[in-house]
Amino acid sequence: MATDPTTSLKIRTALGQYLKRDPATILMTHHLRDDLGLDSMAVIELLYRIEEAFDLQIPDQDLEGLANVGQVVSYVEKRLGKTASPVPTKKPTKPSKPKSRKKS
Amino acid sequence: MRARVVVTGLGVVSPIGIGVSEFWKAALSGQSGISAITSFAPFPMDGYRSKVAGQVRDFAVEQFLDSAHGERVDRYAQFALVAAKEALTDSGIQMAKENPHRVAVIVGAGMGGMVMGEREITQLYERQKPNRVHPNFIPVITLNSASGIIAIAYGAKGPNLTISTACSSSAHALGQALHCIREGRADVVITVGADASITPLVFAGFCSLRALSTKFNEQPEKASRPFDRLRDGFVMGEGAGTLILESAAHAKKRKARVYAEIAGYAATSEAYHMVIPREDGVEVANTMKLALADAGLTPGQVDYINAHATSTTIGDAVEAKAIRQLFKSRADKIAINATKSLIGHTLGAAGAIGGIASVLALHTGQIHPTANYDDPDPACALGGLSRSAQERRIKVALLNAFGFGSNNAAVVLKHASA
Repeated sequence: MATDPTTSLKIRTALGQYLKRDPATILMTHHLRDDLGLDSMAVIELLYRIEEAFDLQIPDQDLEGLANVGQVVSYVEKRLGKTASPVPTKKPTKPSKPKSRKKS
Repeated sequence: MRARVVVTGLGVVSPIGIGVSEFWKAALSGQSGISAITSFAPFPMDGYRSKVAGQVRDFAVEQFLDSAHGERVDRYAQFALVAAKEALTDSGIQMAKENPHRVAVIVGAGMGGMVMGEREITQLYERQKPNRVHPNFIPVITLNSASGIIAIAYGAKGPNLTISTACSSSAHALGQALHCIREGRADVVITVGADASITPLVFAGFCSLRALSTKFNEQPEKASRPFDRLRDGFVMGEGAGTLILESAAHAKKRKARVYAEIAGYAATSEAYHMVIPREDGVEVANTMKLALADAGLTPGQVDYINAHATSTTIGDAVEAKAIRQLFKSRADKIAINATKSLIGHTLGAAGAIGGIASVLALHTGQIHPTANYDDPDPACALGGLSRSAQERRIKVALLNAFGFGSNNAAVVLKHASA
């Protein structure tokens, strides 16, 4: 799948900064939670950084499809209009189950 | 023997009514207090993911207070003053007849004076005139401004405390009030929960946290739906609740009407995550168990639970799981409701307002509906939840409250004659 290297690098750099590790070690196939250890709050913080970096608004209902690094990159590219390729998914997406993991 | 502690007065400011009788009538009919936020002038709502809240409409403090005490405090403290006035009147306590050093004030507040706080900070950065910061800025934003002004208004010279544990603040205030009386440090505790921070910055912060419901912006009254399959976050609310707690001996001496007894309390920390609860529910179950033990009761004696139930996906599921763990086969027999389904999440006021709903459930035998419990989520369906009001004779009630910072509270209440 063709991805814009700039978008990918920006996102992996943001992840690298958050995780305090070399962005080069972060792979497109890495699952945000299972491989990178991000909990739901950390994912929200990452998306906040991405929103800032790309001047985007990511609605809550789009979070469901953003499980691995590649999905995040594709999503951002799609939103920026850089590619028409669909957001890759490992599993078929279920009807959107709302996610709100705060206790408050 | 430990002093028994009873509730003798109630007062409330809520999105479904100012005053206990208005609140309770609306609650029993399942009326929603959630509405669209029209604007945060000068901000349009476009930039906000969530656009609904449980707002106290058309509130003007001077309509409720004879004194000027409400004029120089923030909105949350105004709510607190109004709820305290109603509760004191309801209790029949006359401060002139009390030893003022035996009357305490304990307030639970999560956010404090954010209305003025945000305005002053904005003005300072915009105008860059530090000498134009309002002289009342510090006393207003200090988190104990509500407990301070209530004591000043009524001459209550006993312990004056503010508990700030986010969304569980006033459940802990109830617990600390219980301890205060048990330990003999006061005869009466004016126990309050208050918050009013549906403000441009705080609301934006909760939006950024992705904690709020966003799917029901066009149907505000549907947005707060604890335990329902379509729930997608909590709805911010605002308000205040006051419960007058006093020693049973003191209440008896002045022949006061007793609504209910506050019989037990537990406070724990999950020591886990700032905003995410442990998914196994173990610590929540433990908190309820400890509170019941403090009351000298067992899980088998609980008839009713006023759930924390904010309408978040994980929070409601964890609470339901914890209820199943602790109450086992009885979990579906216990009456349960979620006050936040009607008024949203009033943050620091939630424990006190839920406490009032619990006291009234014990006192009247009526349990208000859980609004929007239309399609029970299998992950957290419990047999005692209902979209309709329920009539049950309740002897023992449990009030749950959990807060950011990984903290849990549970309060046990008993029928006045139990």
